[in-house]
Amino acid sequence: MAADTPAGTPPAAVDRLIHEPARLAIMTNLFVVESANATYLLQQTGLTWGNLGAHLAKLEAAGYLAITKGYRGSRPETTVALTGTGRTALLGYRRQLLAALDPISE
Amino acid sequence: MVTQHSDLKALERRAFSRFYEDGLFDLLLGAMLLVTAVGFAVQEQSDNELLSLGVMLAIAAALVGSFMVLRNRVVRPRLGEFRPGPERRRRIGVMRIALLVSCALGVAAFAFAIVAGPAGAPLGIEVVLPVVWFLNATIVLGVMAAMLDVPRLALYGILFGLVGPLLIWPDVVWGVGLSPLLAFAVPALPILVVGAWKLVRFLRTYPVHEEPAGEPGRGR
Repeated sequence: MAADTPAGTPPAAVDRLIHEPARLAIMTNLFVVESANATYLLQQTGLTWGNLGAHLAKLEAAGYLAITKGYRGSRPETTVALTGTGRTALLGYRRQLLAALDPISE
Repeated sequence: MVTQHSDLKALERRAFSRFYEDGLFDLLLGAMLLVTAVGFAVQEQSDNELLSLGVMLAIAAALVGSFMVLRNRVVRPRLGEFRPGPERRRRIGVMRIALLVSCALGVAAFAFAIVAGPAGAPLGIEVVLPVVWFLNATIVLGVMAAMLDVPRLALYGILFGLVGPLLIWPDVVWGVGLSPLLAFAVPALPILVVGAWKLVRFLRTYPVHEEPAGEPGRGR
């Protein structure tokens, strides 16, 4: 938030939607595969079903994810894939973060 | 707690190789060696190559079927499922080609052994066949290890490769033939032990995650 930024320092222009750790974990996990089901994402990210569902809904609303709901036998199965927009957004986020961290030297 | 990974390639590698931590593939490989031993035993008893081949193929098909069913019931509810990205699909393609070439080479080597007979090869069939067997097994399982990012498969390649020399060389060198069952069981045993240990650990480590109805996301 701009209010938290020390005076004179411009806020880092990063995609706040992706910047949240759980959503970043979801996005990066989906970036390296073509698609995955929700159980895979749950296992990979360590989130709970409730948290995962909430974050997926936000990312889907932003157009970053395509979510398909179906059934395998009688069990519900949700398949998730990164959209082109989502892929571009993650790459953009990476650039933004690198640019924001660039002035920091060891 | 959210699990974070900084390196995307490492993330993909870890995610993919985790699907081979269930031990079922190890158990399948070890069982395949024992099936071949059974085939040899049937051939020795009946002196009928077609019968032994039929028995081997039937048991192998049953094993592969059981493996697929078990993977479906054990791994999918625990780790979920994903479609690999383009780079992994390319690597799986390379692995399949290596497997096909290996099978063709194996068949050609045996055909050569049957057609050419003991005097057919310049170095002697008893030298050539075990060497071809060893190289074939170590190379193909080495390729699989590299393409699937499962390093222990390379070690299994050496164990598979040992079968050929174990079957033939003791008889050539000392005049005492090792029984086929023993020649196959010696390399199969460590693979089966690793597989069983991994399966137990996998079942303890990863609980079943049933997807609740209505979750997650809105979807279509």
